[in-house]
Amino acid sequence: MPMNEPVLTKRIPTHPWGDPKDRRTVGLEEFVRTGGYANLEKALDRKPEEIVEEVKGAVLRGRGGAGFPAGLKWSFLPEADGGRRYLAVNCDEAEPGTFKDRLLCDFDPHLVLEGIAIACYACRLDTAYFFIRGEYHHQAKVMQRAIEEAYEHGVFGKQGLLKGKTDFAVDCHLHRGAGAYICGEETGLLEAVEGKRGWPRIKPPFPAVKGLFGRPTIVNNVETLAAVVPIIEHGVEWWKGHGCESATGGPPSYGTKLMGVSGHVERPGVYECDLGIPLRELVEKHCQGMRNGKRFKGAIAGGVSMGVLGPDQFDAPMDFDIGRFDVLGLGTACPTVFDEDTDMVAVARNIARFFKNESCGQCTPCREGSGWILKLLTRIERGAGTTKDLDLLLEVAGSMGLTPGTTICGLADGNNWAVRTIVNKYRGEFEARVKPQFIPVTVTAGA
Amino acid sequence: MSWKIVDSGNAKIERRDEPWCTEAMKARWTAEIIPRYETRHGALMPILHEVQHEYRHVPYQAMIELATFLQIPPAEVLDTVSFYEEYTVEPVGKCVIGICQSIACEVCGHQALLDHVRDELGIDPHETTEDGLFSLLAMECLGSCDTAPVALFNETLHENLDIPTIDRLIAEARQVGDGGSEH
Repeated sequence: MPMNEPVLTKRIPTHPWGDPKDRRTVGLEEFVRTGGYANLEKALDRKPEEIVEEVKGAVLRGRGGAGFPAGLKWSFLPEADGGRRYLAVNCDEAEPGTFKDRLLCDFDPHLVLEGIAIACYACRLDTAYFFIRGEYHHQAKVMQRAIEEAYEHGVFGKQGLLKGKTDFAVDCHLHRGAGAYICGEETGLLEAVEGKRGWPRIKPPFPAVKGLFGRPTIVNNVETLAAVVPIIEHGVEWWKGHGCESATGGPPSYGTKLMGVSGHVERPGVYECDLGIPLRELVEKHCQGMRNGKRFKGAIAGGVSMGVLGPDQFDAPMDFDIGRFDVLGLGTACPTVFDEDTDMVAVARNIARFFKNESCGQCTPCREGSGWILKLLTRIERGAGTTKDLDLLLEVAGSMGLTPGTTICGLADGNNWAVRTIVNKYRGEFEARVKPQFIPVTVTAGA
Repeated sequence: MSWKIVDSGNAKIERRDEPWCTEAMKARWTAEIIPRYETRHGALMPILHEVQHEYRHVPYQAMIELATFLQIPPAEVLDTVSFYEEYTVEPVGKCVIGICQSIACEVCGHQALLDHVRDELGIDPHETTEDGLFSLLAMECLGSCDTAPVALFNETLHENLDIPTIDRLIAEARQVGDGGSEH
């Protein structure tokens, strides 16, 4: 079924259905007038378990980067024991290239809150923390206001979930981060909400069993929760009509997805597309092609940690199986596109600097390795590197490990994968920048 | 979050008689922030945001006051303050200019902006001008890659920046003395 109407961007004018110039924050009144919170009411008429089963049946894969099915995650929760249970909403959208959740927070905050309320009701979670990154000042204000409106409207609070329709109450609080990428890692986020430094925790125990303040906790991305609303509205079969089946026999990629395109395209921005749309179509149809008609050289798949699609991978379909093109995965489906003039050595150095700055310092391979990768890439970019440096670079990157590897979280893997895919796919550029290193070998003639 | 070695064993903390965390502030925190969290420690980050906002840094004495208030060791407060980039132990300028240096901004020309602001203010990234008016930060992704290059002036994001616009913003900040942006 082709996508013939916007789903998550129903109230946010987006090409080709609307003009982004007309975007404005949808307040409570307009949200309710256009069918808002009706799906929460619909959900409240059903048993919580039915909603979990429905989301599970829809195979709603997490939109925050890992693509783990949300319904399955929800079903990991232990039975309610009367104690507190939490929802932590991950809006720490800090990976370079990713800016899709910002769109929802900016313009349709109540859609996210409706998803939060449905998730809390379905999973019997009594407190939700909306963790928003520190740099999103405006979005934090918009969300705070929307949360207050939702309290007044009877969604949250003692008289909440639409004015005491059930005997269950949910609280929702905004928690601002303070500038640390690592807090986007689910257990790092939990530490931050507890007021500590955002060092990721060793898993297991998984957050669903032992999360915030030692209690069962579900961590979901903003867009994932927003997508719960249309699933409740239209049903599983409709949701499965969007997106695509797996090309490799793995789990399918159903539904629509917000895709934020940046870099060298004519019209960068967030577009809503069915999963599986080829990158070329996304760039040429939605973004009006490459900037100034230049040629495509490569693209980051979806956030810098996922690796780079090479010049021959412009037709790669944007689904959760994109890993078959030798990138780590779809990530957040927010590609940064590079044209033919881009210096890929500089791109690699920029990405390495990001990971070096944002490594939390807990695990030695990541803390030390990210620094060495940056040093080597800076040297190569300056033209002072040798072929040995290039080999050492790949060796250091490789030894930082892939999950389950040498580190607690996946930051080192992202660093490793980004650097290795760039060097492997654009090896010629790197080799042109380094000086050959000759190793003198002494041979005794006639021996 | 890069690692800095600090000789904390021999450090002397500057103290003043008047507390940084006033009774009025504490009363409000008790009423509004503490009930939101299961533990008192949980309230630390929102409280630190307020202290940083109020004084443009988190003084060591304030950390000790907060530790007493939240009934946690002072080291835990320092731990959190030193980990997050938004909290600083030295005062930042009245107008903090944070230029995004991540990938989309770099490929769309952030370096010219950064160099220009550096020359204009005479400071390097992560420094503050002597008059205490400006701090310059080279920040990682600000989450607005479609409108690159971007920069934060205090809490306001400016998109699709070029040098004339940034000159105008700096001039405005000089005129009002606080960045001309909502604080």
